[in-house]
Order: sequence, then structure tokens, then C-alpha cells
Amino acid sequence: MTEISEEERKKILESPPVGTWVLMLSVGSGMVVAWLFLYYGVFLSRGIIN
Amino acid sequence: MHIDPLEKKWIQISLGMVSLFMGIIMIDALFHGVNAPSNVETIDSRKIHLSEEFAEENLGVQVAENGDITVRMVAGRYAFFPKHITLPAETRVTFRWVSMDVLHGVHMPMTNMSTMIVPGYVSQIESSFPRPGEYPMLCNEYCGLGHDHMWSKALVIEKEEWQATRAKQAAVLNTTATADEESNNE
Repeated sequence: MTEISEEERKKILESPPVGTWVLMLSVGSGMVVAWLFLYYGVFLSRGIIN
Repeated sequence: MHIDPLEKKWIQISLGMVSLFMGIIMIDALFHGVNAPSNVETIDSRKIHLSEEFAEENLGVQVAENGDITVRMVAGRYAFFPKHITLPAETRVTFRWVSMDVLHGVHMPMTNMSTMIVPGYVSQIESSFPRPGEYPMLCNEYCGLGHDHMWSKALVIEKEEWQATRAKQAAVLNTTATADEESNNE
């Protein structure tokens, strides 16, 4: 494993967690799209029940 | 209490998603009438066969004078009666279900038909079938040892074909009735 300097380590820790944000947004948007598909594409398109 | 900024972000995203879903459901419920089934009608399960509506000759597909189609079905261990029905595609059909014994459920895949059939109550659902084909009616509430064999079939055919079949049946019935009348007069 490559050794990193203390300065580099500090820089990494202080930089914004871009990877985590990408993960958050992709998981979040994926769930929203899946829910919208099930609600509008499956549930409502088969007709409502009253 | 200390919460890590990233955890805060996850919480915000989760709450945002829940709010969005709840908002859509509330708007549809309040303004577009998308609600849970609300038909509450009671019936004496022990006397279904004696009731006017669910007597044997009234089960199955009935067409009113104004063209409304109603299907009356009885669920009992282990089948839905009648076992086979034929319906037109792309037509609104009102299903009325009762149970003659225990709690049952009915599910028709690829349609909105999924309801419990509670003894003592009439379950009513409006449905339509966009495509012709054979639709199974499956019990989806465990009702006893034969539960997994409890199913019936709905054959959905083209609207025109269904109307032609009905007209043919009506003509046959008319002919029979006329013949009966004539033989009675003689």
C-alpha cells in the first residue's frame, strides 16, 4: 500500500466527500424512480379501487 | 447530541423522499379520489344461497338493462363459484364477492383485483381488462389445507366477440321460450 504524507491525508479528510454524495444521490434517485414507476406505472395504471 | 454531517445528509434525503411519497399519495387521495376500498355491506354468510342476490342462478356475469356488467362470485373452501366466467375486454366490470365460510382473498394478476373476502361482508371492486386472455383468480388468504388449489378462471375476449356471443345466447333463449310457450298453448 502506498504511504501518503500527513499533509496529503489531511487534505483528503478536509475535502468534500464527493463519492458519498454521488452514492447518496444515486441511491435516492433510484428509489424515487422505482417508487414512481410502481405507483404510476403499475398501481394507478391498473385502475383505482373505491 | 452530535450527528455527523454526512449522517444528517442521509436523514435529510430519507425524510425528503418520504415527504415526496406522502405528498403524492395525499394529493391523489384528496383531489383525485384515490382511496382505500370503502364499500361496507353486510350479509349473513350462513344464508348466502337463500339470499336473492347470491342465489345460485344469479351468480356469474349479469348485464343490466343499461349495459352495466356485474359479476357476483361466492368464495368457499376451495374454489370461487362459478368456476369459469367470460368477460369482455376494455369494459368496466363490477365484481361483488362474498364468502360462504372462512376468510378468503382474491387476486387476479396484472389487474387491480386484490381484496380480502371477509365472511359477513360483501367486497365490491370495479375492474377492467385491457387485453383479452385467460386471467386466473387466486385465493391469497390462507383458508385451509386446500388453499393452494383454490382458483378459478376468467376468460377475457374481445368486446365485439363477447357482444355477439351474448346476442346469440339471448336468441337461443328466446327461441326456447317461444317453443315452450307454443307447446303449452297446444
